[in-house]
Amino acid sequence: MYIIGENIHIISEKVKEALTNRDREFFMDLAVRQVEAGAKAVDINLGPRKKDWAEVFPWVVEAVEAVVDVPLSIDTTNVDGMEAALKTIKKNQPILNSTSAEPERLEKIPALAKKYGAKIIALTMGTSGIPVEADARVEIAVGTLIPHLMEIDFPMENLIIDPLVLTTSGCQQYCPQLIETVRMLKYAWDPAPMVSVGLSNVSNAVPNDNRPLINRVYLAMLMGVGLEMMIANPFDEKQNNVIKWIETRDTSTPLARVYNKIAERTEAGEQPAPEDFDMTDPEQVDIWKTTQILLNNVIYADAYLAN
Amino acid sequence: MPIEIPKDKWNGKVRTINLGATAAEGGTRAKVITVGGETSMPYLHFEAPTPNTPLIAVEIKSRKPTDWSPLLAEAWGEAMNNPAAWAKAAEAAGAEMLILWLTLEDTPADAVSAVKAVLAASGLPLAVFGPGQAEKDNDLMVAVAEAAKGERLLLGICEDKNYRTIVATAMANGHLVNARTPMDVNLAKQLNILITDMGLPADRIIMDPTVGALGYGIEYGYSVMERLRLAALQGDSMTQFPMLVTVGFEAWKAKESKVGEGVPASWGKWEARAINWEITTATALIESGASIVVLRHPESVKRVKAAISELMTA
Repeated sequence: MYIIGENIHIISEKVKEALTNRDREFFMDLAVRQVEAGAKAVDINLGPRKKDWAEVFPWVVEAVEAVVDVPLSIDTTNVDGMEAALKTIKKNQPILNSTSAEPERLEKIPALAKKYGAKIIALTMGTSGIPVEADARVEIAVGTLIPHLMEIDFPMENLIIDPLVLTTSGCQQYCPQLIETVRMLKYAWDPAPMVSVGLSNVSNAVPNDNRPLINRVYLAMLMGVGLEMMIANPFDEKQNNVIKWIETRDTSTPLARVYNKIAERTEAGEQPAPEDFDMTDPEQVDIWKTTQILLNNVIYADAYLAN
Repeated sequence: MPIEIPKDKWNGKVRTINLGATAAEGGTRAKVITVGGETSMPYLHFEAPTPNTPLIAVEIKSRKPTDWSPLLAEAWGEAMNNPAAWAKAAEAAGAEMLILWLTLEDTPADAVSAVKAVLAASGLPLAVFGPGQAEKDNDLMVAVAEAAKGERLLLGICEDKNYRTIVATAMANGHLVNARTPMDVNLAKQLNILITDMGLPADRIIMDPTVGALGYGIEYGYSVMERLRLAALQGDSMTQFPMLVTVGFEAWKAKESKVGEGVPASWGKWEARAINWEITTATALIESGASIVVLRHPESVKRVKAAISELMTA
């Protein structure tokens, strides 16, 4: 699993404060620790920085690149900010995060990525928002995103498609459709495009206690349909275990078996079944309940584990 | 050639809930009314019978409302001045249940005396709703619940903000709660989990998903109710509750009901339009699975009752 570390994100109060104080050490430390924890790239999301982009983007890129030797993912809606970052990056092929199929973004961002030889994350979202159905999302990829990239001679190996994970709390019907979208995208083009997701979006608006479990179970399902890249928290050890168990087909413990089974079932186009779980083990019962929420079989509620 | 109608077979069932208690059960109601028990989507009689007829409740207030349509004031006349008289008039108009809606001006003593007067005036099952401000609702509902112990009143408005107090007093005094959430399946289920976690038996919960009137979000309410019913039939225990919808409250807020002058002539006669608004909203929501519809106009009561009767025999 290629993890793009998500932790340098302006939504975090600590990151916000460190940026205000231009605390270079903070950003260096957070980048190094993410890479040590297994991140293969580091995402940098400081928002659009409409007023001070010309100073902030090069500043943070320079700080992070001074201490890590992995690609940086420039995560902003500010095109000028993206370019300022691209000009500063020296070490590795950067990732632009992101474009969508909306005409204005599609016109500017892939051209910028091409100019600087960057990879690009393209969201399957058009002007009318994010479609629920898998077919419609794949259609945005093969009907709009890919044709536009071909038109500007964009190297296809630099394309990463992000089919957009939405939260089980309120957008539950999207969760199983996203799994199918990932499955279909793998057959949408030859060679198969890289697919990446923002995993923790699946648990947005979920109480913090339950978020990691929902993330892990969804991850197992997505690995079942071939997900090999994601923007995620590399410090989540239980999540890292799930990745390791599924990648190595390790079934030596009950939990490893269960997560592998979820991936296998999903790969086969089946749903996990009660007999896959040891219902005398409360931890496995919680995993089972989480599969049912994520497959939209049972309506989500914050207290779904208590139900 | 015979055509076989495809039928869905569901595992789940909406809970059966009894409203009101007779002397035998520790109350003073003339009879107990049962709602719920459905095992199919609404009125698919070829799949499963509809075990209980949806109930028409009439909304009355503890004080004469100042913000109600003059059309309603005309329809109820003097009865509106007094909750007991209003209760009798509502029963005479065909109400099968009463909802006494308390106001912000009521003290707990006022609320208790209004509830007692209504209980004495009519033998119908009764719901008592607070004015909808969490703290005030708590004050009034605790007093009412204690004063009417054993009547199996339906107490509202029991929301995320204040469910603890109302559920506790319902448990202590043998009442039910009306669990209200803002048009959202996740929140509806969550509140039901929280309420049952406190120990209130699940056969004492009605859920109120909040609805909009025709033209004012009825389709959102409709979809939420449909989704909750589907989940109930699929076996999700925390959605298996009968639903109450406050149709009169919503329909009489609509401009089409509220405004008699300065509207296009093609809108037709005000009174007919206003009543149609309430009836259309009510019948649509009954068809999406409502077990209790709360109405305001006596003519609506009559005509929605006729519609229900057709649905039940269709």
